[in-house]
Amino acid sequence: MGYDAKREDYQRMAIRYARSLDQGDPVVATRAFSNFGRRLAQERDSLPQTDADRAFHLVADATDLIDYQLPFSTDEQAQEIVARAQALLAEAVSLDSHCYDAERMAFDPTTSFEGRYRRLAEREPEVLAGCSEARDREGATQDERTKLAQEIAMRPWRRWMASMAELALICGRNRTCLRLGERLLADDPTDTAGVHLTMALAYAKLEDAAGLQSLAARCAGWAPARGADDAWMLLAQVAIAQKAMDLSLASKALDRIIRTYPQAVRTILRQTELPDGAFSRVITNPYSEDELIVAVSEATVLLDEGADLSGRGPLGLWMAQETARLRPHLAAQTLSQMAGGALQ
Amino acid sequence: MNVRDELVMRCALRRREKIGGLSDQGFQELLLAVGQRPEDFVDSPEEAALLEVGRALDAYATSLREDDVRDDDEYQQERRRRLAALNAACGHALQTDPDCTDAQVIAAIAAEPGQDQLLSQLMGILRDGGDRLAVPGDNGKKGGPAGSGAKESGAWADVFARPALRLRFAIANACLASQRYRLCTKTCLELLDIMPADELGAGKTCAIAYARLEDEAGFDALDERQGRVGNTWTHLSRAILLYKLDRMPAARRALRGYGSLCEGAAYALLRPVYVEPYLPDRPTVRQASYEEAMLCIHEAEAVLTDVPDFFEWAAQLPGFQDAAQAFADEQGLDW
Repeated sequence: MGYDAKREDYQRMAIRYARSLDQGDPVVATRAFSNFGRRLAQERDSLPQTDADRAFHLVADATDLIDYQLPFSTDEQAQEIVARAQALLAEAVSLDSHCYDAERMAFDPTTSFEGRYRRLAEREPEVLAGCSEARDREGATQDERTKLAQEIAMRPWRRWMASMAELALICGRNRTCLRLGERLLADDPTDTAGVHLTMALAYAKLEDAAGLQSLAARCAGWAPARGADDAWMLLAQVAIAQKAMDLSLASKALDRIIRTYPQAVRTILRQTELPDGAFSRVITNPYSEDELIVAVSEATVLLDEGADLSGRGPLGLWMAQETARLRPHLAAQTLSQMAGGALQ
Repeated sequence: MNVRDELVMRCALRRREKIGGLSDQGFQELLLAVGQRPEDFVDSPEEAALLEVGRALDAYATSLREDDVRDDDEYQQERRRRLAALNAACGHALQTDPDCTDAQVIAAIAAEPGQDQLLSQLMGILRDGGDRLAVPGDNGKKGGPAGSGAKESGAWADVFARPALRLRFAIANACLASQRYRLCTKTCLELLDIMPADELGAGKTCAIAYARLEDEAGFDALDERQGRVGNTWTHLSRAILLYKLDRMPAARRALRGYGSLCEGAAYALLRPVYVEPYLPDRPTVRQASYEEAMLCIHEAEAVLTDVPDFFEWAAQLPGFQDAAQAFADEQGLDW
């Protein structure tokens, strides 16, 4: 669904450390490794690492700031958080000119979506080449550790592609989004990047029920193993059915979201748009309230399309009204807490 | 919607039916006579209702013409008043003829119930009998006299079928306005099947929907079907389509085509203005005029905003913004 920067930082360092122990006595190595977690946390600089590892650590810190602290900060804190994160990212790039994650995350906030998409598109071949080289440098043996190292080497490109797919969706380039998604899936067949969720929204934008269905049928092999019943798939189904004026089907899919996700009524009525995760899609637990919040936020391109002065598009408005019809008591509670109150 | 011409034709056709055995020349004379004072020839509830609708639309249009001299508050107030009056007049017409499709459709639009609601209501009208579509050459369920046999195409040639065609056009339009693009193309293509010369301009609506769906094959088939004669809508739609497909040089050429085809086209795109609801069909404006570009941009507005950086990209196209500014200066419009 998304990548965990801290976990990846840990994995990189663990692989590096384990390799440094390979030459010596296995018993000593095992004992040494048992201390790894503590040393990583407390004496990181005592562990073997390259500038690329150091740069990635800064990326992980910046991710924590931007993706996990910023959304909960006050306006005053926000400026400071952003400044700190930007400094970390700039340092990461200066340490490692191939730190593509830092490069991707350190965009100028005044750049348009189109500008960001263009920039990523122009640099993508180089990022692919850079990551592929890094992967090849990890060697050709097929042990678990090498495979993981190879996989980690490709992740910056995968995140790059996932960001591009998402920007393409926002820029109204839905077919491009699907094409990028398919390219990524060809390299990442278990979809560790979670790009199929973005693709589901693109199929909904194109009102392509058959395309969405065939995407759902392929979900089975993807990580984490779960059916095509996540919030993105269900929101896409709601959208396609509502647009085809099959309102009872749309209502059924909506009801399924409400039954699956805690606090769904509140989330659907509020329809809050959040900034997309800078490192990757923000990590949430499957079927959690937060997962639905992230999915609804990404579905803004569907919900707000054609918005009038009320700020909601016809689909967003229909979803709110239908939710209020399906769960009148819960909806009334939420609406009384919301500024403005009633649904228009 | 030209109520008067349709009313004249309908009254003349009914009269011919009554008299029986009228020669073509006789019919032409009858048409002239009806044209002088159509109200004198209205002798059925159907035409009586249509006459009421026509008068209500005339009153509405008269009020529209004075919007320029109203300030914002006056305008809002007058706008509400004239739409309410139109709605009431259509309600009255429906007492005369409960099956008057035009009155049903215009009343629904004038009530401004929101796009979703409007679409549901229009589909309800279609389902509940507004679909009295005559197969060309047939009299249709409503049993009006046979068509005039004039130069119009398909179902449009039958003046009694036109309300049902306008209803479908209004549905296509409501689909576009409520982001139901597939349903929009489907409705438009059905209209083109029964009305090949596309007197209502459904192909224009359809082109916008294809652009939004990034459906190049559909767009191309439509273009071929319409003889590859481009218009303001197809040029703009092609620019949007190619932009979305990330074929930027081609998108630039298409936008230039749009800009050069139509007077004030660049201005209309970069400075979109509010357009009053269609009642129920697209208003007739001079071809390739600024007014046409205005209507086109109005219809494409949601599709354009769905491509957030399109406006900026267009403004940066060499000469595009200059052309818009020059048009504003020339016409004394705000920039």
